[in-house]
Amino acid sequence: MLSYLYFKNLYDKNFDKWSLISDLLIRKAVFYDDEEFEGDKMIPVTARAEKLMKNKHFRKLLVNEIMSAKRSITGTSADNLKHLYVQLGLDKYAFDNLLSSKWHIKAKAIQELTVMDMHEYVEQISAYADDKNSLVRMEAQSALIQFNGFEGLNFLETLYSPISNWHQIKLLQQLSQLPPANVDMTSWFTTTNSSVIIFTLKLARIYQRFDLYYEIVSCLDHEDPAVRYEAIHCLNEIYTDETSDNFISRFLNETLKNQLAMIKVMATVGTEKDVEFLLDLLTHENDEIKVRAARALVQSNKDGMISLEKYSREQNQSINEIVMHIKGEVAA
Amino acid sequence: MSWQTFILHFFTYGILLYSIILLICYVLIGAFSISETRSYLRKNSFTDYRMLASSTETPSMSILAPAYNEGANIIENVRSLLSIHYNNLEVIIINDGSKDDSLEKLIGAYDLYKVDFFVNQQIKTKPVRGVYKSYNPVYRKLIVVDKENGGKADALNVGVNIAKNDYFVCIDVDCVLEQDSLLKLAKPFLESTNQRVIAAGGVVRIANGCEIEGGRLVKVHLPKQFLPRIQTLEYIRAFLLSRMAWTKLNGLLLISGAFGAFDREIVINCGGYSTKTVGEDMELVVRMRRYMEELDEPYKVAFIPDPLCWTEAPTTFKILGRQRNRWTRGTIETLRTHKVMFFNPRYGILGMLSYPYWLFFEFLAPIIEFFGTIGMIVYCFTYAVNWSAVLILVGVLCLGILYSIFAILMEVLTYNQYRGRKDILGLVGVAMLEPFVFHPFVVWSAIRGNIALIRKQNSWGEMTRTGLATAKKAS
Repeated sequence: MLSYLYFKNLYDKNFDKWSLISDLLIRKAVFYDDEEFEGDKMIPVTARAEKLMKNKHFRKLLVNEIMSAKRSITGTSADNLKHLYVQLGLDKYAFDNLLSSKWHIKAKAIQELTVMDMHEYVEQISAYADDKNSLVRMEAQSALIQFNGFEGLNFLETLYSPISNWHQIKLLQQLSQLPPANVDMTSWFTTTNSSVIIFTLKLARIYQRFDLYYEIVSCLDHEDPAVRYEAIHCLNEIYTDETSDNFISRFLNETLKNQLAMIKVMATVGTEKDVEFLLDLLTHENDEIKVRAARALVQSNKDGMISLEKYSREQNQSINEIVMHIKGEVAA
Repeated sequence: MSWQTFILHFFTYGILLYSIILLICYVLIGAFSISETRSYLRKNSFTDYRMLASSTETPSMSILAPAYNEGANIIENVRSLLSIHYNNLEVIIINDGSKDDSLEKLIGAYDLYKVDFFVNQQIKTKPVRGVYKSYNPVYRKLIVVDKENGGKADALNVGVNIAKNDYFVCIDVDCVLEQDSLLKLAKPFLESTNQRVIAAGGVVRIANGCEIEGGRLVKVHLPKQFLPRIQTLEYIRAFLLSRMAWTKLNGLLLISGAFGAFDREIVINCGGYSTKTVGEDMELVVRMRRYMEELDEPYKVAFIPDPLCWTEAPTTFKILGRQRNRWTRGTIETLRTHKVMFFNPRYGILGMLSYPYWLFFEFLAPIIEFFGTIGMIVYCFTYAVNWSAVLILVGVLCLGILYSIFAILMEVLTYNQYRGRKDILGLVGVAMLEPFVFHPFVVWSAIRGNIALIRKQNSWGEMTRTGLATAKKAS
């Protein structure tokens, strides 16, 4: 423990010195003015900094600081930072790291090349979009979107590995920064990779792709309940008058989770013709289904509350508490 | 060899063998912990939690906070919970039949009114007297439930029945959470693609001595009082080493009742928290794991090494003794309830490794240590001491101290919450003292827990707290 504290102390002292040198380099690059210098663009680098470039700890520190600066600025200053990065040969080191057998070094290299806008490495990076390591492929897929926008999503066509929900959120967040584009997504619905279909359904929902309605409905018959669940959720946004019929015809064969999701969506897509179905559900053995059916009944029909109260009076079922609960929700 | 010599040797070498196996376990725990923590930190370096905070695609979560006679600090505690960064969140406070004015205070402070609420009794509980929501849209996330007193497990079950989200986080209402704690706790549920994450736990740290303002942790300090300080070391060792190692093996049996997230569907399918044990937190995790093993579905119990939750540690031996007594009873009750899993290959790691470890080294360790110590004293008086065995036992004791120092090193290398050199030396100091001052007391409390269980005493034990708002002053 003492030896660790000794070496840490030593490293901290060097770290402070190196921080100053890297800060100076970055400042020079950010405020570099082309017109001040003649000939090729060369950001001045001190001999000391040149010498330190051989030290991997210094390079790590410098790259982290350049990336951090690059993330927060745009325009000429950002271009100058990229220039400094290439001028110091840091892209070559990153490329070497890309070939490392260690996943975290590989993923870090992809992240670095992406932040530094090194478009010339996109082909090499795309080879990792279906890597066996989840972090490596996540960084590679994010890089493809960063470089190619919505077109970068083409990796979905050949993707065998799953995309976790976490990664889906990351990709959607990245895409939300871009202007919407009408990419062809139909082939992604036919892949054998369920997570790709789920992600496509999310894209269709968020980007309101009404042209994909029939593809979405076809997902209601998919063998994976998670795909069917996402399709139900998607139909909350993209629906027609017949959407509720699609739910009703499949309701009995669904899992409880998907049945609950269907009833919830029927609050949006349901019409007067669905009143009878929803009233029937009030006799269901599962109380959660009863509550959701009552809610859907009230929300999908202007006379829903009247129907619910009438039903409550006529039947011997003890759904009074549920009716009061829904009334309370409506009042709030 | 006479029978007396045989018993003497059996006793001496038996304890020695047990200690050596325990030490091997500690070495393995250290190694697995390093591997798991390094992997977590590397993965975490690619994570931007701000992205999750702003996303509408995050899973919805419900915070369940049971409160019993928490009137003194309830307003501030609830305010702290409401300020947590998370998009799809509801905060459910369950007033478990408090005898004080907790409910009245909440009604007044948060502008609450009673609503007609249908409670879906998916888990049987004591009757709910009322559900309250706020007129003020600022507090739209807040639900307060008033129910008849039934204990912590029953209160949590009411919360599970009322929660409408897929995941719930149970916390002790007097804990202070880091602002991004839920974002971090949500990640394991989102990351896994081939296993269902059924629960996720976070590190609980000692808040005594820390600066807390407006329900938020402002600055971390090592407690000045002896007992909280030694518990700080104990928590570091338990959370950073033991739980991380068991996470690596996917054999974690315990998620602290003070802070943990659960898959609501699985909890309901398992029947919720057991009201028949005082160790409801451990019992639920074991039951959920058993349920998944019996279904033969791939699953995982995740654990986050980040310090996410800060709690007040007992400051007196009396309160600490009650707590440890209860923990012992909870462990025994859980092990007894699920004894079918003991060395049962059907339950995989759970039956073959986790359960036996808990039985031999969590439940039996204090008993063996207690009788070992008595035996040693008797040997001393009868001049029958085997000095080579004593030397080895002293070595074992030193390795125990080394294990604590290793835990401190892990803390410094990873989260380094106690930055000052004085704080680190303070922790090393208590690591040296612990085996002589604190540990015997913990062993004695565990023995009392065993006796209480034999006498069928199943009370929770009153846990008087100073209150975190005043923690700084108190220490």
